[in-house]
Amino acid sequence: MASLPAGSVRPGRGFWRESWDELRSNRAGMASAAVLCLLVAIALAAPAVSAVVTHYGPTQQDLGHAFEGPSRLHWLGTDELGRDTLTRLVYGARVSLGVGFLTVAIALTVGAAVGLLSGYYVGLLDDVLMRVVDVVLSVPPVFLYILMSILFRPNAITLAVIIASIGWAGLARLVRSEVLSLRSRDFIVATRSLGARDARLILRHVLPNALPVMIVAASLGLGQVVLIEAALDFLGLGIQAPTPSWGDMLSNAQVYFVHSTWLVVLPGSLIFLTVLAANVLGNAVRDAFDPRLRRF
Amino acid sequence: MAGYVVRRLLTAVPVLFGVTLITFLLMHFTAGNYVPGLQLDPNLKPSDIARIRANLGLDRPLVVQYLDWIGIGALFKAVGLAGVLGGSHNIDPGILEGNFGRSLIDGSPVLASVLGRLPNTLELTATAIVVGLALAVPVGVVSALRRGSRLDQFLTAASVAGFAVPQFWLGLLLILLFSVEFHAWGLPWLPSSGAVSPLGGGGVVDRLQHLALPATVLAFFYLSSWSRFVRSSMIETLSQDYVRTARAKGMSERRTVYVHALRNAVAPLVTLIGLELPGLVSGALVVEVVFGWPGIGLLAFQRALQYDYTTVMGITTFAAVLVVLGNLLADVLYAVIDPRVRYS
Repeated sequence: MASLPAGSVRPGRGFWRESWDELRSNRAGMASAAVLCLLVAIALAAPAVSAVVTHYGPTQQDLGHAFEGPSRLHWLGTDELGRDTLTRLVYGARVSLGVGFLTVAIALTVGAAVGLLSGYYVGLLDDVLMRVVDVVLSVPPVFLYILMSILFRPNAITLAVIIASIGWAGLARLVRSEVLSLRSRDFIVATRSLGARDARLILRHVLPNALPVMIVAASLGLGQVVLIEAALDFLGLGIQAPTPSWGDMLSNAQVYFVHSTWLVVLPGSLIFLTVLAANVLGNAVRDAFDPRLRRF
Repeated sequence: MAGYVVRRLLTAVPVLFGVTLITFLLMHFTAGNYVPGLQLDPNLKPSDIARIRANLGLDRPLVVQYLDWIGIGALFKAVGLAGVLGGSHNIDPGILEGNFGRSLIDGSPVLASVLGRLPNTLELTATAIVVGLALAVPVGVVSALRRGSRLDQFLTAASVAGFAVPQFWLGLLLILLFSVEFHAWGLPWLPSSGAVSPLGGGGVVDRLQHLALPATVLAFFYLSSWSRFVRSSMIETLSQDYVRTARAKGMSERRTVYVHALRNAVAPLVTLIGLELPGLVSGALVVEVVFGWPGIGLLAFQRALQYDYTTVMGITTFAAVLVVLGNLLADVLYAVIDPRVRYS
């Protein structure tokens, strides 16, 4: 074998470290991550922004100054009740991102648990759990969301539970197929033959190797959830007024959009931006984890 | 093949049971057993409430209520066990009998309302799928042929962006542009709501005009996801050996690409379309609401606002049954196209 030119081979640095390096070199992915972090920061700091930057509350009405365009007092104008658009957008970020992250967290926890158990202990448990998953995936989500939101009065947490109650099923299937391919791998077989108990195997060996798939699904899922949540708010079946949310702002703006177009453009653009960032980041993370795409 | 179909049917039955069970339990434990607020009426004595519940058959065991709801009563009657379920003087539907319940608002049968609106929804979603397909294939092919070029990068970015656009927002923006602004600028404008014009409508042109905007919004989403798939499928197909052989044998590039490669690249798209079959009925809800399109989604939404639990539940169950049947149909189609599937 001819010797390779010097410097063309370098020591591996471990899967996670190399994935992180790949991700960092993906400019679109890093930009999206930055956008998301910025949105989260703004959402968390909403009361501070309201108090210090804009000096308006999100529900503070000023009927004498409705439908104003951007001005020094109202940087992004006012809506039909004279409420400051910028403040409402900032508080809306809280709702969208808050519900989004909470939903993904719940769906991921439940879905991963079901997927791990189902994929590891194949057999009757797997059959039963996958039938349940089939049932959950068969009901059209939109109708179920509507049904559940007229049955329960949704606040942010209930809404997250409602959306997650469908979302976990897809994640369960994903994790299960990953676990199925992992359980027959040599390192699992070896560890088991060394006497490792099931719990240890699942938690310390299978789960960390299933994490990449889960992380990608979580990021892409965040985008989907933000869209669903915004649509529910738009229909009036999600977060109820007077809590501002982007979908709700869009719904209110419908009536007036002929003369106040920015009231439609602004909330929709923010939804679009958030979902776009989540999707691009998800794709970037997926590419970063894929060993076939490593650039040596 | 017959064995495969039978096996698919057998797995579909428990799923159908599960789906109806979910909606039944959801309703039963939350909406006050079809009579919301009954307990709150101060004029009713507890004995009255008990009597009403007995009349509605709500005091029977849960299992019996569920079985009656899905209409097993029809089966029992057929084999002569009519008395087992304790009478049928109640408003519970029997799904196997085709009864999906009655509206709490006006008592109209849910199934009749749904079937009346079903053609409208199908018209919308089917058109969107066709349009999405018709656009996705050329876009994907062009992207693949000019891979890495500025056009390709632009189209790929546009697809990713298209995936993130909220449907209701896009709908509102299109209405703003094509209905409001075009009208103001004196250009021919498109109607923004309904399926036909209220006065003198119903003609083909009129229907097409009303269909244009909502179908575009729906098709946009399909276009975004399918064009990327066509692109990657086409790239993979063009690197196959038989394509290289065709070129080596002197076949014109045009023929190689458009006659041979394209056909094989697009075939897996059937899988993607099959995935959309189950969502055909329910996927257009937001678009229907924005455009006032008289479909099943709009019906569910309007009833939901009126807290007409039974109708919404009936629609959900109906749509779920359609989803299961749609999956079944898609699986059978795959078995027809790809014989290897029959042995799974």
